Amino acid sequence: MTHHHNYTITKDGQLLIKKMESDQVETVWDRHAAQQPQCGFCDLGLSCRICAMGPCRVDPFGEGPQQGVCGADADIIVARNLCRMIAAGAAAHSDHGRDLVEVLAEVAENKAPGYAITDTEKLNRVAAEYGIAADGKTPEQVAGELAHAMQEDFGTRKKELALVTRAPEKRQQLWRKLNIMPRGIDRETSEAMHRTHMGVDNGWQSLLLHGLRNALSDGWGGSMIATEVSDILFGTPKPAPTKVNAGVLKADQVNVVVHGHNPVVSEMVMAACQDPEMTKLAEEKGAKGINLCGLCCTGNELLMRHGIPMAGNHLMTELIIATGAIEMMIVDYQCIMPALSKVAACYHTKMISTSDKARFPGMEHVEFHPDNARKKAYDVVKAAIENFANRGETYIPVEPLDAVGGFSVEAVVGALGGTPEPLLDAIKAGKIRGAAGIVGCNNPKIKHDYGHVTLTKRLIENDILVVDTGCAAVATAKAGFKVADAISHAGPGLKEVCGSLGIPPVLHFGSCVDNVRILVLAAALANALGTDISDLPLAGAAPEWYSEKAVSIGAYVVASGIYTVLGPMPPIAGSMNVVELLTKGLGEVVGATFAVEPDPEKAAVLIRGHIENQRRKLGLDATEV
Amino acid sequence: MKQVIVHPERCVGCMQCMLACAAAHSKTGALISAISESPRPKPRIHVGAGLYDEGFPNRCRHCNPAPCQMACLPGAIYRQTTTNTVLINPDVCINCASCAMACPYGVIRYHADPLGPAGKTIAVKCDNCIARQHKGLIPACVEVCKVGALTFEEMDAAMKKKTDQVARSMSAEAIAADHAPGFSLLNTIKRAQKEINLSR
Ligand code: SF4
Ligand code: SF4
Ligand code: SF4
Ligand code: SF4
Repeated sequence: MTHHHNYTITKDGQLLIKKMESDQVETVWDRHAAQQPQCGFCDLGLSCRICAMGPCRVDPFGEGPQQGVCGADADIIVARNLCRMIAAGAAAHSDHGRDLVEVLAEVAENKAPGYAITDTEKLNRVAAEYGIAADGKTPEQVAGELAHAMQEDFGTRKKELALVTRAPEKRQQLWRKLNIMPRGIDRETSEAMHRTHMGVDNGWQSLLLHGLRNALSDGWGGSMIATEVSDILFGTPKPAPTKVNAGVLKADQVNVVVHGHNPVVSEMVMAACQDPEMTKLAEEKGAKGINLCGLCCTGNELLMRHGIPMAGNHLMTELIIATGAIEMMIVDYQCIMPALSKVAACYHTKMISTSDKARFPGMEHVEFHPDNARKKAYDVVKAAIENFANRGETYIPVEPLDAVGGFSVEAVVGALGGTPEPLLDAIKAGKIRGAAGIVGCNNPKIKHDYGHVTLTKRLIENDILVVDTGCAAVATAKAGFKVADAISHAGPGLKEVCGSLGIPPVLHFGSCVDNVRILVLAAALANALGTDISDLPLAGAAPEWYSEKAVSIGAYVVASGIYTVLGPMPPIAGSMNVVELLTKGLGEVVGATFAVEPDPEKAAVLIRGHIENQRRKLGLDATEV
Repeated sequence: MKQVIVHPERCVGCMQCMLACAAAHSKTGALISAISESPRPKPRIHVGAGLYDEGFPNRCRHCNPAPCQMACLPGAIYRQTTTNTVLINPDVCINCASCAMACPYGVIRYHADPLGPAGKTIAVKCDNCIARQHKGLIPACVEVCKVGALTFEEMDAAMKKKTDQVARSMSAEAIAADHAPGFSLLNTIKRAQKEINLSR
């Protein structure tokens, strides 16, 4: 009995799952089914593996043990587990940011051949925020000083991170008052691990507050640095057309796919793929050229800046290999399923891992560092071309769809004529009711892309502007929402505004670290209104999240004052105290809460209701929902 | 007729069976909602700790004749012959605990049950998930047990399997097959630790 229609709403996904079934290759859905039922203790957040007196579990029915060996009860165990999820997510994003700062530092020292400062204007602007004057210095000197100042943000030498000054004054004061102002990026993650060690912080409320501070160190620290430095090095995104879905693979070309998160690797691979020497080599081997495509966030990074086509999001990463058309998949880190090499072994695809911190069974490891990345990129692309000869039958199931990506804050403000005022005016006039950021991953617990696409569709119908990132952004692009013509799906007001600007009603804001672009835009809107982010008609949603990074993102978005609806339930239901704090109590603390709603139709109603409420509070016209 | 068969040597003590049993005997049927029901549903299978703290799933054996049934003066305990299940009629039970005293396995508990008369404490035990079986489902504890410590099979076939297993272990050429070395190692370590503790 096949269920490929139940797994995904995408045509390419359905057809490729079917192919994998007949090829007898296991997919993430097969493995998910084999895990059922999943452990109830872990699902409820009631298992603790923090120390070796354990592992411990608390019986949610009240019959068995109600505390761990150390005496931690359900509230403490759930809060500690959640805090550690945030710490892991913040660590991942921030370590990604650190890698970019390292490249910036090496570019300054001329030690990173192939890398350069692309956006000097942005370099100077960010440097100024760090108190570094640009005049009389070469861009390399500024870059060196900026890299040094950013590295200090990672440590513990400061009382506050540099970029928090981008948040509205009121928000900064609130963070100071609550004592959750992030001080050092690594410091907050380190402190989260310390506090959750056995016998340290056993106040579940104080643990969760520190979780928010740790998340803020990601949102206004590590992730923000990652985005800004990526823009400086590789260019600030501008809207550009691209193509999406499995159809972007080309039957007659060498297909190279990059997967992961770090543009430090993928930018060099792109440069190698575009070198005429390499194209010539490909032609000698009988291919019509080299086709570079992206998956997940490293794909989003290339798409945002260079319009590189996007083959799919998280749950497509295995399926895409089953096309038999991929000569090589080059991965760096984060969200790369260790299953990929097993799938690749059933086809001719070569798998290359590139990061000193990420190994995968069955992959060839070619380590990229700033000083050798250029050379390594040429080496692997050559190997990909060689592999073209090994190709068997290919199956590219669909035609690609058009999309537009590249909406950085700079690009949006540019499209609006230089200030966010026109957007505010459209919101005040009620043509646009508000805006929602839809972000996050795919999760086999939710039909692939169903959550993202359904929620987006309902919101734009309701005149709510959608900005999205990560796998969510790829999902809506594949659904056809990211072309100017997609205004036909929008409500009348949004249709009018987007139509006159020539932009889609759903704007691609980039990768997962680029969620900070949403923060920056929200802060700019609040500043233009002289108010706080929590007063704006905004909402966030993560309809299909799975990763710890998403937990950190959700936490910094809420701590920044934006109401956020999650699809999958985080593992917290074992403590109703924690659930109530996150879904109600936080409103009084940071002016925003979480909600959990797996049904995107209902999530849309929640978001519309919240946005209308915010409008009412601002004295704007509002309807009952 | 299929029955639940316990293979205690495989139990990892994850207590999944307890959660699934309680959820299956709740009003709402789903774990997350079941934990906020009142009265809270309770499991009818209990995982105990063995001599070396290894897990052991303890459940009603549906004995025949059943000592609990013989001990029940009001006649609340009866046998459903189609599924060979010993059942307790909650309306007739007077909470006298005679059945628990007669039960050699200690599997009868007393509490108000979400599916029993409101507010009345009654004797509660494994009912072989007959409600699920009527829907064509297997008992909840068997369904969740990921290590095969609980199976739902024909007694004859199960006995044959067990006989063959024992026979193989007795043959001269026997090579001891270890199906889960990690688990055995864990149990060995647990045993060693316990022995060290006990010998001190
Ligand atoms: S920290 Fe406490 S609850 Fe967690 S494993 Fe150790 S003893 Fe058990
Ligand atoms: S589910 Fe199986 S392994 Fe886990 S405790 Fe129950 S009987 Fe043991
Ligand atoms: S407690 Fe109930 S079931 Fe047990 S002997 Fe008394 S009447 Fe019978
Ligand atoms: S409750 Fe005990 S005595 Fe009664 S049938 Fe079950 S195992 Fe036998």
